[in-house]
Amino acid sequence: MKCIIPVLGLGLRLAAPLPAQAPMTAIDSARHVLSRLAYGATPGEIEAIAHDGVMKWVDRQLGFSDVHDPALADLERGFDVLHVSRLEMQDLQQKNQAKVQQAQAIGDSAARQRLLDEIRTEQQGGRRSLQALIAQLQTVTLVRAVQSDRQLDEILVDFWTNHFNVFINKGQDRPYFADYLDRTIRGHSLGRFEDLLVATAKSPAMLFYLDNAESVADGSDQRLAAMQRGHGGVRPFPAIGRGRGIFPNPRPGVFPQNGADPMTPTQLAAKQRAPRGLNENYARELMELHTLGVDGGYSQQDVIAVARILTGWGIDRKDAAYTFRDAVHDNQSKMVLGQQFSGGHGEDEGMRLLKMLANEPATMHHVSAQLCARFVNDVPPDGCIDDAVHAWQKSGGDIREVVRAILHSPDFWASVNVQSKVKTPLEFVVSALRAVNGTPDSTPRLAQRVGQLGEPLFQHATPDGYGERQQDWVNSGALLARMNFAVQLAGGKMPGAVVDLDRVVAVTDDHAALIAAVDKAVLGGAMTQRTRETILKELADVPDPRMARALAVGLAIGGPEFQRQ
Amino acid sequence: MAISRRAFMKAGGLALVSLGADPIFLDRAAYALKTAGGTGSARKTLVCLFQRGAVDGLSMIVPAGDPWYWQERSRIALPKEQLVSLDGMFALHPRLAPLKPLWDQHSLAIVHAVGSPSTTRSHFDAQDYMESGTPDVKSTPDGWANRYCNHPEEHASTPFRAVAFGPQLPRTMAGSAPSLAIDDLRTFGMRAAQASGEVKLTRAFEELYQGAATGLVASSSAESFEAIKMLKTANPTAMPPANGAVYGKSKLANSLQQIAQLIKADLGVEIAFVDVGGWDTHVNQGADQGQLAGRLDELAGALAAFTTDLGEQMRDVVVITMSEFGRTVKENGTSGTDHGHGTAMMIMGGNVQGGKVYGRWPGLSPEQRYEGRDLAVTTDFRSVFSEVLQGHLGPANISQVFPGFDHPAKVGMFG
Repeated sequence: MKCIIPVLGLGLRLAAPLPAQAPMTAIDSARHVLSRLAYGATPGEIEAIAHDGVMKWVDRQLGFSDVHDPALADLERGFDVLHVSRLEMQDLQQKNQAKVQQAQAIGDSAARQRLLDEIRTEQQGGRRSLQALIAQLQTVTLVRAVQSDRQLDEILVDFWTNHFNVFINKGQDRPYFADYLDRTIRGHSLGRFEDLLVATAKSPAMLFYLDNAESVADGSDQRLAAMQRGHGGVRPFPAIGRGRGIFPNPRPGVFPQNGADPMTPTQLAAKQRAPRGLNENYARELMELHTLGVDGGYSQQDVIAVARILTGWGIDRKDAAYTFRDAVHDNQSKMVLGQQFSGGHGEDEGMRLLKMLANEPATMHHVSAQLCARFVNDVPPDGCIDDAVHAWQKSGGDIREVVRAILHSPDFWASVNVQSKVKTPLEFVVSALRAVNGTPDSTPRLAQRVGQLGEPLFQHATPDGYGERQQDWVNSGALLARMNFAVQLAGGKMPGAVVDLDRVVAVTDDHAALIAAVDKAVLGGAMTQRTRETILKELADVPDPRMARALAVGLAIGGPEFQRQ
Repeated sequence: MAISRRAFMKAGGLALVSLGADPIFLDRAAYALKTAGGTGSARKTLVCLFQRGAVDGLSMIVPAGDPWYWQERSRIALPKEQLVSLDGMFALHPRLAPLKPLWDQHSLAIVHAVGSPSTTRSHFDAQDYMESGTPDVKSTPDGWANRYCNHPEEHASTPFRAVAFGPQLPRTMAGSAPSLAIDDLRTFGMRAAQASGEVKLTRAFEELYQGAATGLVASSSAESFEAIKMLKTANPTAMPPANGAVYGKSKLANSLQQIAQLIKADLGVEIAFVDVGGWDTHVNQGADQGQLAGRLDELAGALAAFTTDLGEQMRDVVVITMSEFGRTVKENGTSGTDHGHGTAMMIMGGNVQGGKVYGRWPGLSPEQRYEGRDLAVTTDFRSVFSEVLQGHLGPANISQVFPGFDHPAKVGMFG
């Protein structure tokens, strides 16, 4: 009996009455951690982890930097998008825009269309086109989620990507997003929350997405204009793009077809225009979503003060990098949450502010509750939130310690919370591939399927990110789509996925044995008796053993047990 | 277990129990019975058509009587002789001519200079605000149509009450009230190479979910199989267009045809949603020919087919078009228009008092424009939506549908 931890955890809690429950078996515990700290189990993984020790596996996941994964590293080398800088991506975008613009200017409509079609083909087919690179980013995200040994890290990257959501199709975010995901988020996913917060605040992707790049101190416009005149027309800093006029394809799930943001001369002129004043967008979301939470006790005055403190935090378009511009920074003093920020300290004011926000009790509670909603229950239990907040205080916001506290919390192991969550489309697709030892191929087709199931990657337009609750994902059309996905995958007919069922379940004429094998490999032994009977009945008129196997696997993955985790 | 409505009516309902119908289906069958007969059915449907990308309202509904229109648009103004005159001041784009009969029958109303109080010129933000129904508030989790559907009405007994055509549920319909996203009615349900395979898979999954699903997964899956059954029984996609209506081949035409089929099959659609893109005409917008003309051609053709197809039933159906904002009054350097502010909406069908352009016309002279460049907004889009909801679908709690919008202005489209 390896799994004594949950029992230990219970002993540590004094005042948390939990429903009486039978102790979990090692197999149950292994299945539970694999469904919450990983994208589900691969065949045989539950037994292996139960055998080696569940908490040993958990600790290994928390110390993910020690988990070497040379096979994944090999796969990653094939994805150019992981090795291209923001600046190179921006160059690709600008070159493409210039081409489209040239084409648009052609008077003869047939010739114009021909050239535009050529550009589109080039965008779609080219290995290094912006559109191709963005598609690669989606694909490599699935490859990592399915095949990485550092599963908990993949889960946390997904969690933070939604917590600090950026919409990849918003103008400049197309070239900036890959770097944001791979360095800003992934680089801090298990570090200190404060560092993650500062990294996102300084990322060109976030600065553009929530408009802080165009937020300037009221009146600094005129100051700048005067400076420009004084400098004989030389701008003190490169133009900051509004760039928001471009929205090539507002429908989520599909990337812009021509892969280009056409830029008209008037738009270009607009881009040269200095920004006009204070923009509260980032300031508000910073407090409401990233740190304190909507009930975190801040006022509209705090939002304005935070926006003023962060004036000057912008993007240097020349280098596609963060820059602080003192010329547009608000130098007056400000007051946030009762704290005085005296003026004239430039960028340091913002740094002080972010550190303050990162360590507010409301922030600890808000972010801990979200982590508990991800790992424990859609409605996070108070007990595990408290444990997480306690660990946050003790560790100074070390995400690893906060997550560790949640995983050791009795709530995490309570039977009421086991299988209590519904998988998101991403979790469903990735866990389905893992369950049948499948792999994504190098095309974007599987990622497109995730989009069709309702979660187009990096395309949540609003700053709140994809939801974590079952009502965000469960609707009648969506469930049917999952059932169809399952049948297609099990039949080996899923575009974008490579599946070989021979490696998972042996072909047999014995239907009862077949179902038992499918239950073990795909559902980790969680199949209900009713499901077993239904599948058995449906197999009765399927004489071909390979078809019977595909049907059994398809029904298991498309069935109700597999939708939960 | 499919059962036709006629069989149910013959059997007088009780026989259903012995046929093994589940309780939900019993509700649905009873519902279908109640609304059967077609004539005099009070079932009301609202169809929302979102023109994504910001349509140039000044080309769609041309303010021909405003001299500034001609002055500012030397290259893209429509040829005077081709305009379809409405009331002396306004005219339809020539490609919208198929809608003129509706205007003449007083079943097409137009609201001009309509839009959002938000000053954003970002498609992203403006669409979000129009769909959430809360301008400048980004944290609103659900869409206005879904909040409307939260009221406990009899429509709740059909999974087709709120249906969006497309692969995903649009923000307008997102939220806690059940709503269906259907990409294409013909492929909704289980897919297999053979029909027998579809039947088998549907039966198998239904039994699996009845046996082992819990909570929301159980109720939603029951909705799915219910919807499949209702579609199978009613078989709406087999209905040919009526009254000689000819739908085009576009995605929009296809979606509108399927919405008409759902309405004719009396499946209880209360709000249907469809979107159509291609309105972001920064470059070479064209006039009577070209980019925008092509899009309007498709729009008018699909709408005309839809209203023709439904014929008398349009009495119970209102279609409203919407777009996140309008475009600049003055054409830009590349014979297009840039992001603006106010635009126009069309409302047709039901009891709308058509043949009239509603909303105060602010004028197009530079000082009358919003920030000197755009058509000003004189009617809040929420006033129009509120009036359509209340005037067509029936009483609605407007402060719940549009939180923070306490005083909708009277537009007058429904008297």
